Amino acid sequence: MRLLACGLLAVSSFAAAETVAIVGATVHTMTAPEPIRDATILVRDGRIEAVGTNVVIPADARRIEARGRVVTPAFLNSATQLGLTEVGSVDATNDASVSSGSLGASFDIQYAFNPRSLVIAQARADGLSRAITFPTGSAGAPFAGMGALLQVLPDDAVLERPRVAMFAEVGGQASGRVGGSRSAQWQLIRSALDEAKAFKPGSRNDPRDSALNRADLAALKQVAEGKVPLVIDANRESDIRQAIALARDYKLKVILKGALEGWRAADELAAAKIPVILDPTINLPLYFDHVGVRADNATLLARAGVRVILHASFSIYTTYNAGFALREVAGVAVANGLDHHTALAALTANPAIVWGVDDRYGTIAPGREADLLIWDGDPFEPLTTLVSVILQGSEVSMQTRQGQLRDRYKPGTATSPVPPAYRSP
Amino acid sequence: MLAAGAAQGAENRAQGQGSPFAPDPLPSTYKPLPRADVLIVDATLLDGAGARMDDADILLRDGKIVSVGKDLPRPAGVAVVDAAGRWVTPGLIDIHSHNGTYNLPLVYDSPPTWDVAEVSSPNVAETSIDHAINAQDPAFVMALQSGVTTLQVLPGSTPLFGGRSVVMKTVPGRTMQDMKFPDAPQGLKMACGENPKGNFGSKGQAPTSRQGEVAMMRAAWINAREYLHKLKREQGEGSDGGRRGHRPGSPRDLKLETLAAVLEGELRVQLHCYSADDIAAMLGIAREFDFQIAAIHHAVEAYKVPDQLKAAGTCAAVWPDWWGFKMEAFDGIRESAAFVDAAGGCAVMHSDSPFIGQRLNLEAAKAMAAGRRAGLDIAREKGITWVTSNAARALGLDDRIGRLAPGYNADVVIWSGDPFSVYTKADRVYVDGALAYDRTDPRYQPRSDLLIGHPARELKP
Repeated sequence: MRLLACGLLAVSSFAAAETVAIVGATVHTMTAPEPIRDATILVRDGRIEAVGTNVVIPADARRIEARGRVVTPAFLNSATQLGLTEVGSVDATNDASVSSGSLGASFDIQYAFNPRSLVIAQARADGLSRAITFPTGSAGAPFAGMGALLQVLPDDAVLERPRVAMFAEVGGQASGRVGGSRSAQWQLIRSALDEAKAFKPGSRNDPRDSALNRADLAALKQVAEGKVPLVIDANRESDIRQAIALARDYKLKVILKGALEGWRAADELAAAKIPVILDPTINLPLYFDHVGVRADNATLLARAGVRVILHASFSIYTTYNAGFALREVAGVAVANGLDHHTALAALTANPAIVWGVDDRYGTIAPGREADLLIWDGDPFEPLTTLVSVILQGSEVSMQTRQGQLRDRYKPGTATSPVPPAYRSP
Repeated sequence: MLAAGAAQGAENRAQGQGSPFAPDPLPSTYKPLPRADVLIVDATLLDGAGARMDDADILLRDGKIVSVGKDLPRPAGVAVVDAAGRWVTPGLIDIHSHNGTYNLPLVYDSPPTWDVAEVSSPNVAETSIDHAINAQDPAFVMALQSGVTTLQVLPGSTPLFGGRSVVMKTVPGRTMQDMKFPDAPQGLKMACGENPKGNFGSKGQAPTSRQGEVAMMRAAWINAREYLHKLKREQGEGSDGGRRGHRPGSPRDLKLETLAAVLEGELRVQLHCYSADDIAAMLGIAREFDFQIAAIHHAVEAYKVPDQLKAAGTCAAVWPDWWGFKMEAFDGIRESAAFVDAAGGCAVMHSDSPFIGQRLNLEAAKAMAAGRRAGLDIAREKGITWVTSNAARALGLDDRIGRLAPGYNADVVIWSGDPFSVYTKADRVYVDGALAYDRTDPRYQPRSDLLIGHPARELKP
């Protein structure tokens, strides 16, 4: 078979200060349920200046022809370990959890973050603008510690919001860490919040009265005061209802993650304005905690008015395919009844609101950062190609280490007298 | 030609009966579901062997495919299914499943419910995974609903020699035997690389290294060869080749029986192996002891050595997008299947997961898309072979399943649309000509014991 030019999608990076017009695409602005056809997006200084069908294109603007293409916001993945892991099986490259020492709720992954991770480089080429990177366990279960919102830039990645949320895990899979009962998980969360509320950072604590150390109490005080959200990973209906009660009793900002039996408390979650981060591909009960799982969980939650965020929970997808896997999970959600617009919002506008960056990200609207993806079809279809990734108004390189391997070993090279090590790059 | 192939296969099976090396203490009790002849008309048809036909008809009679073509005659009394606007493919085949051994709901930390592998020794060739399968695992039904009609359940990858595999139909039965594919060749699961040495090495047991793994494998094959020679000497080299069972008083050795059966070509080696170096080492062992490896599973670096795989006649079973989670998966690329295919090799998509096992068509789609982006012209009729005829070849069942051709088993899926679209669903699934699943008819929507009666699953009034 013939192999076409393999250095495909050559980069024509342009300065962020440039004015660029993306012309002719079907644009999912996420500000309306229907996309705008044959639209123009005007980008100036890395931000969107205008979008619509009658945008005046300045004479000095560089045009990107996008007729027949589809444009969406770049994605936000709300549950990853990006920058905290490089190779899953290599312990020394993994910084997402601690199992001993003094750090419980105060465990804060920001100091481990590695912006030069090639996992992030892959996610960038797969269309990721932002991600939550979060801890998976601390020495103070059921709290796992503090996660961060990271931003992917054209040539870098930064923590846009360290300590963006506190994470906790409850349910049967995690109860061993607190002695064996989920009742203890909820009791520990409640008593920690009680202590944190009473905690005065400057004052002296009586250690005999305190189950937690000062660092953990300081971290939890932010949560108890409603300044930092608490992400609770829970799946069983009873735990979801406990999470709702906790949010009500302590006036917390709670975000539910997992939520595989969420459909059973959809109305209550909607009434409590608790957003939900879930994986719609889980349609089998892996564990008893979600024996009630349904393939249309996301659909039922969205229909009840819950703000739904989609992610890929399967370990190999969560981080290694942090950008790529979102397409498929959203497509599966649509195949099970979720409307297309809501599924796309679940990767863009919805997480933008939940993580507090909707003033700059998540929609294609004037004033927003130009983090855009150009597709040759429906982004959820596996045969669709992501043609171009634009971050902060700049087209980013689509080349990755995987791409370099692909080019080295392209068909016809196996019998080459020149070993791969002598081939570019 | 295809019909002739099927006939030859049947003959081979007849000759293989009574082999001493692959005795089956749990033979298949599978019976096809009640069935009637069916004519599916006006479908877009991918035959699984590389051809596409538009507006095509296909006639299923007595469990077999009788004819495929345009405007077939409509025999009296045969139900006609209008598939206009819909696509028809062979039933999908998943050659790497652990269904029935995770026993959903599973508990990883609860050994009593988890039987993926016997891990007491690096050589458990005496085990057979069919002794561990819970037929009520709902994952079987989910696979059926997703267009999978045949799957191979493999033991896990902790031991070097993991034991015998079993090929099953996805039509639910009372026990594993009711689902066992009749007269399917059995497999031997083997594993190389990080898993065996990591698991046993961390316990201070051998193997602790790749060279240790290979040495243990070679020693086992040497023993198997000796065992085979001894057995043949004891039996005498008669007209039947001296393969007629053990003499009374001669002790059986189940481990060596399994390995000897491989050397005799009666068991197919299904080998878990990621890296190019490991693949090359395993192909070397196969040459040294003169057996064939049917398929390298999880062949993440197959794209680096497609010529070697092709020369050995060994399939590469891959995922489209798994990489990074361990060092031997570090170099995974999405073009692997396409590159193996482009080299003339046998590319197969496999699941290793009850969830991915419901989306084998989409796994193929992702791999096709990557190949296309790399400049390869991969049509849908090509991509479907990775989950049908190529998979059948890896199982040694390519004379019976994986194609829509006369003489083949009538394992047929009617898809609601393009099978490579994420929005497409299997509307109807026929297994051996019987309707086993219908998306719109509850009478053909099986439910496993494990999922009925749970209050948490009941819809609120």
